[in-house]
Amino acid sequence: MRRAVFYVVLALAAVVFLYPFLWMAATTFKSPAEVGGLSLLPDQPTLDNYRLMWARAPFGRALLNSMFVATTITFSVLVFGSAAAYALARLSFPGRGILNAVTVAVLLVPAQLTLIPTYTLIVQLGWVDSYAGLIAPFVFNATAILILRQFFMQVPRSLMDSARLDGMGELRILFTVFWPLAKAPLAMVGIFTFMGAWNEVLWPLLVVRDEQLMTLPQLLTVFSLGGGAGPRQLATKLAAAMVLVVPVVAAYTFLQRFFIESMASTGIKG
Amino acid sequence: MASVSFEHVRKDFGTATVVQDFDLHVADGELVVLVGGSGCGKSTILRMLAGLETVTSGTVRIGEREVTHLPPRKRDVAMVFQDYALYPHLAGRENISLGLRLRKVPKAEIARRVSWAAEILELQPFLDRRPKQMSGGQRQRIAMGRAVVREPAVFLFDEPLSNLDAHLRSQMRHEIARLQRRVGTTALYVTHDQVEAMTLADRLVVLEGGRIQQVGRPIDVYSSPANKFVAGFIGTPPMNFLDGRLEREPDGLVFVSDALRISLAAERCPDPAVASGEVVTLGVRPEDLALADAAGRGTIPGNLVLAEVLGATTHLHVEVGGRRLIAVVPSGPSPVPAAAVSLSIDRSRLHFFAADGSSLLLDGHDA
Repeated sequence: MRRAVFYVVLALAAVVFLYPFLWMAATTFKSPAEVGGLSLLPDQPTLDNYRLMWARAPFGRALLNSMFVATTITFSVLVFGSAAAYALARLSFPGRGILNAVTVAVLLVPAQLTLIPTYTLIVQLGWVDSYAGLIAPFVFNATAILILRQFFMQVPRSLMDSARLDGMGELRILFTVFWPLAKAPLAMVGIFTFMGAWNEVLWPLLVVRDEQLMTLPQLLTVFSLGGGAGPRQLATKLAAAMVLVVPVVAAYTFLQRFFIESMASTGIKG
Repeated sequence: MASVSFEHVRKDFGTATVVQDFDLHVADGELVVLVGGSGCGKSTILRMLAGLETVTSGTVRIGEREVTHLPPRKRDVAMVFQDYALYPHLAGRENISLGLRLRKVPKAEIARRVSWAAEILELQPFLDRRPKQMSGGQRQRIAMGRAVVREPAVFLFDEPLSNLDAHLRSQMRHEIARLQRRVGTTALYVTHDQVEAMTLADRLVVLEGGRIQQVGRPIDVYSSPANKFVAGFIGTPPMNFLDGRLEREPDGLVFVSDALRISLAAERCPDPAVASGEVVTLGVRPEDLALADAAGRGTIPGNLVLAEVLGATTHLHVEVGGRRLIAVVPSGPSPVPAAAVSLSIDRSRLHFFAADGSSLLLDGHDA
């Protein structure tokens, strides 16, 4: 009996969280007359909202831009982050303690605080309205370094010793011994980084004005601000939002196993 | 294959010196076992030879080549670790061959060496399994396979059997001995297990506090320990020690303590230069004590505290003058605990140590 109550409560909670998302998904397939309703099943399903969205702004290009920017940032964070984490966790060099402390300290500085200095730097470098401007500020991530460092510290020393005796250098040890062992934390860092980069709005709004370089959330924001408030416009905006959210949901579904495993093993709450 | 030389090697970690003035020459094809308690520096010595630790001062040579500052991959050594250190994401075969692939050994040669290692170590059934699908003994055999296929100048074994149960340990001990004899590669083996040390070693190196205490054939180290530390460390159960003094009497030297008085056999008399009245420690191996039929001259009276029957032998714990002595005797009807017993000593096998721990025996080896 208690178990049944427990499941009912859980199901209600799931509905509370899922309903708005499902409503949004359903609305993108509704005709303007149906948009205001709370139903989750369109009477006359249509793809008009998607066609209209595609016609009114370069969402295809924005999707590609977002893919490129988020993937490049994720790849960079994983490569540079794991290299830094490996050095901080497993190599002895002067100043390692200070670098560890600085990495932690970086987490304490709010991103908004560094927004203007970073923007000024990007302007000075001439990277406004460029992929470099969108990507460069995010290629290092202190959180990623700390999560991976924590994992790398647990890898037995004998495994590194063995790899060195087998003839490996440090980079080869990192990528051929540590990476296969660190699938779970790498997946977690990868998903977080990808989601952060994919959803980033503020920074692209600052450094990109060329519509052909805009990322999906940026274009969506611009589109939402100027698109009107009628039912058709609302459904079109929601269609754009769906395009934004689907890749992240797909990636999460694909990597869910690693993600949960990593959460459990690192003790970090999501 | 090659010889190995350590010349005045020292290793500091911060302000702590863990290895000092370490001098050792290991002949080509020899198996030398480094033995000592935790923190004695034995693993550090192995790691310095492998290039996994830097050397604070001194010189390390493999053959004629000085390797003191060479990186591990340029030293031509292979190491077997306590925790196997297999790559978890690779199958046994890949674990064995990875070092060869990284050295760009031709594929045909890699295949030949892997099948050779699989044959001599009986690895065939688990070559295609990942480490987590293998037992501890199988993992350790894969680790040994990885070492032998490299055909290195020197094998290093860092407590390779410590994680195995007693039965597997015994089996793997035989395999290591057989393997080393078969390939004839120079080997350094670190352990704290005396059975491994005694059975595997061509020569033993006993270490304490980062210093060599004694180097020699296992039987020589056992029967003629250079000092009290070696005497107490080598041998299970450990040697019994009794503090007392030497007195010179008309018919020779006598060892006198609170509990007993022993006239010394002529062939085990300590150095005649030892002054009468000198404070010494008497050492008696448990197997050199026996239950005496009756108390009498030359026997040690005591009370039996505990009798541990191990099968063929029994360990008798006997309290003598506030000290506990252990005697190893053939199993049979034993006195009940708390009974008064008398122990006889094989006077031809006594050991004496000076106050500084050094052996006082004349000839330095057993009679």
